[in-house]
Amino acid sequence: MTKHRDAGKKEREHDIAMAVEKEEHKHDVKTKIPLFDRIFKPEHIVLPNGHSVDRPRSRMPLILLALLIAIIIAARSTGFDFNLLLNRINQLGVILGKIFNPNWEFFPKVVPPLIGTIKMSIVGTVIGCVVALPVSIFASSNINKNRPSLLIIRFIISVVRSLPAIVYAYFFVLVFGLGTFAGSLAIAFFTFGIVAKMLYENIETIDMGPYEAMQSFGANTLQSFWTACLPQILPQFFDNCLYCFELNVRNSSILGYVGAGGLGLLINERVGLRQYNDVGMILLTIFVVVMTIDLVNDYIRSKIV
Amino acid sequence: MIEFKDVSKTYPNGTKGLQHVNLKIEQGEFLAIIGLSGAGKSTLIRTINRMIDITDGQLLVDDVDVMSLKGKELRKFRRKIGMIFQSFNLVSRSTVIKNVLSSNVPDMPWWKTLFGIYTQEQKLRALEALDKVNILDKAYNRCDELSGGQMQRVALARTVNQNPSIILADEPVASLDPIIADVVMSDFARINRDMNITILINIHHVDLALKYATRVIGIRAGEIVYDGPASEVTQEVLNLVYMGNAVPKSTDKIEIEGMVINND
Amino acid sequence: MSTMEHQYSENVIEKLASEPKNFWKRFIIFLVILGLVIWGNTGSNFNGITEKGMNVAKAIVSGITHPETLLLFNLTSKGIPMLLLETISIAFLGTLIGSLLAIPFAFLSATNIVPKWVSIIFRSITMLIRTIPALVWALIWIRVTGPGAFCGVVTQSIASIGMVSKMYITAIENLDTGVLEALDACGCNLFEKIRVGIIPQLSASFISTAIYRFDINLKDATILGIVGAGGIGFPLTDAIANARWNRVGAFVICLVLLVIVIEWISTQIRARLAHGRK
Repeated sequence: MTKHRDAGKKEREHDIAMAVEKEEHKHDVKTKIPLFDRIFKPEHIVLPNGHSVDRPRSRMPLILLALLIAIIIAARSTGFDFNLLLNRINQLGVILGKIFNPNWEFFPKVVPPLIGTIKMSIVGTVIGCVVALPVSIFASSNINKNRPSLLIIRFIISVVRSLPAIVYAYFFVLVFGLGTFAGSLAIAFFTFGIVAKMLYENIETIDMGPYEAMQSFGANTLQSFWTACLPQILPQFFDNCLYCFELNVRNSSILGYVGAGGLGLLINERVGLRQYNDVGMILLTIFVVVMTIDLVNDYIRSKIV
Repeated sequence: MIEFKDVSKTYPNGTKGLQHVNLKIEQGEFLAIIGLSGAGKSTLIRTINRMIDITDGQLLVDDVDVMSLKGKELRKFRRKIGMIFQSFNLVSRSTVIKNVLSSNVPDMPWWKTLFGIYTQEQKLRALEALDKVNILDKAYNRCDELSGGQMQRVALARTVNQNPSIILADEPVASLDPIIADVVMSDFARINRDMNITILINIHHVDLALKYATRVIGIRAGEIVYDGPASEVTQEVLNLVYMGNAVPKSTDKIEIEGMVINND
Repeated sequence: MSTMEHQYSENVIEKLASEPKNFWKRFIIFLVILGLVIWGNTGSNFNGITEKGMNVAKAIVSGITHPETLLLFNLTSKGIPMLLLETISIAFLGTLIGSLLAIPFAFLSATNIVPKWVSIIFRSITMLIRTIPALVWALIWIRVTGPGAFCGVVTQSIASIGMVSKMYITAIENLDTGVLEALDACGCNLFEKIRVGIIPQLSASFISTAIYRFDINLKDATILGIVGAGGIGFPLTDAIANARWNRVGAFVICLVLLVIVIEWISTQIRARLAHGRK
């Protein structure tokens, strides 16, 4: 059945897009010999029956050598010191011991900033996802045929993605003042970067057949996309949003570091005071909340996919 | 009425899709277009609703010069031409009725499209279209629950819902098994008869073409080599069209680009 | 069609009556999301941009458009090249150690390798590791190693384990056991089965996971500096705190370029691992 369809599709594509095929064919003929194989000539093996085969040299030694050099450079530049670690590892035990023995009485103090963190994450995630949807449509090569604008939009998404949320938070705290608004905005930027990329990669894999059909009976680009493509990407889109929400709750706990509200401020303070039992309580709370969100997400996912 | 006047199509790489095609198709005809893969069948069909631009000659559909149409006019023109694809081109995640209703989208205000709101009238018409191809009971099922034959009938209903005067079908039964193919072809024939819609079908199965079509066009290397009633297609005609290759039948193995596909 | 009277057959009308009512369900979901957003905005402190804020925003933009180019060519430990090298080194070593440490965790959590109760124990451990954010790990490790890049390495080694082992587990649980059966039939012993049947199946996806994690670690490494765990983070936040925007501009531009380039390279390598050499 599918074989049929593939064959038929292939034939049709042949019929209407020979131009493209010819281009691809040209490309096939000129397979380049990789530089590596030109330096280290493949081993020529002749079988007893006279047939022969070329065995390319293994790249493994070269890769291992490069890895070794990289390790040495990295170890030197970071001051890697295994002895220090061994000598003071008991410190870790002490701290972890306290963290895993949370101070339950601290819980009431965790709740207000926790709610702040969740609020921040909800607003940030929704804004980020809502903005990401239209942008990613114009960032997918199968919908946007205008190459320059495509590349520009993708570059912007990449740039937004490459800055960590905490750097955004820092900027926004300075511009909008201390508090959760800066945090929400930082999360929105972070979410936008991640969701837009996942989404346009997703849009590029959808079946364009229904889109073509819509075009054939006179729908314009936006109508075709909305009716024929959106239903295909929507489940994945919601899935990405939920995933991002979970990620944001986890991460927004650190945004408080620069004054953007939420749990981070509390963690910073408690670590500063070396109250690791309190830190343990905070972490436990985050753990439970994230687990709950995860369970809810799984439930929603099973409904939409 | 569709009229080809010395139409040629040359692809940018020099391949000739169509060469000096002259054709006159009256309203309500049922045409089957036969020929080898790559002979230009798809090109011929797709020039009519201008999914492909012609490079020479003149193509008139209901006295409108197709090549003169632009943007909005072209989209309006396409409203009265339905198209059926080999791979059905349905949104498989959506329900059957949503797919049928999608052919109303070009006429709807943007905010209705945005939220996917359809009127009772539109829904009734869509259901009626589904009833015409005997698949009403699946209306609220999702498309990916259907078989190939059922999906092609949904696609046909979508086209009927568009209320076209012409239906172009590009290998509509190539992915279906022979029995279902026959059923789908008979659906086409019924719609052609009941609604007086012109139907053009690209088809590999000569036996089905001869059984249902009233007129057959044989195309070879972009040129029309046969044009006449289905009843007058002889072995010589088929030899001419298929350049002496074995004539594919729906129950035969057909060979597409070196790939042997068993048809059942 | 026009409004002209058209008689629809009974079964069509009947079918329409059986239409599932999705509209209200969707409307309620929409209202819930809207309600959550409104609730989330309560207590938000947005009172417009103050004049001071506006000035800062202008200064940031002008700083980013006029980066301090001198820093780019400063080869001392305060110049950008060395800071970037340090950041990459932290991410590299952290990923390497983390992805090696994750291997035993993954095998001991895979339900097709060990009994269920063992897998549950090790899954909980990785879950706990995952729950503690990287920045908190850094704060903990600083007490052990003291501030500096080494702290960053140790932090990332541990913080990587959670995600990496989770992806390893998926790979292990998707192992094609048919190969092992074939090797059994050839009379291979356990070691031979692992060497010939398992490692080739897993190595590509393990390496791909590690490279993916390297991407993430690189981004994380840029912020670890905020708490003193080395890398470009500290000079960056320091420059922000002291409002040296031209310097911030230079840092941000280099950071963005670095992350984009590394991401591009890692995507290429992973594509190659997934589809073989073309």
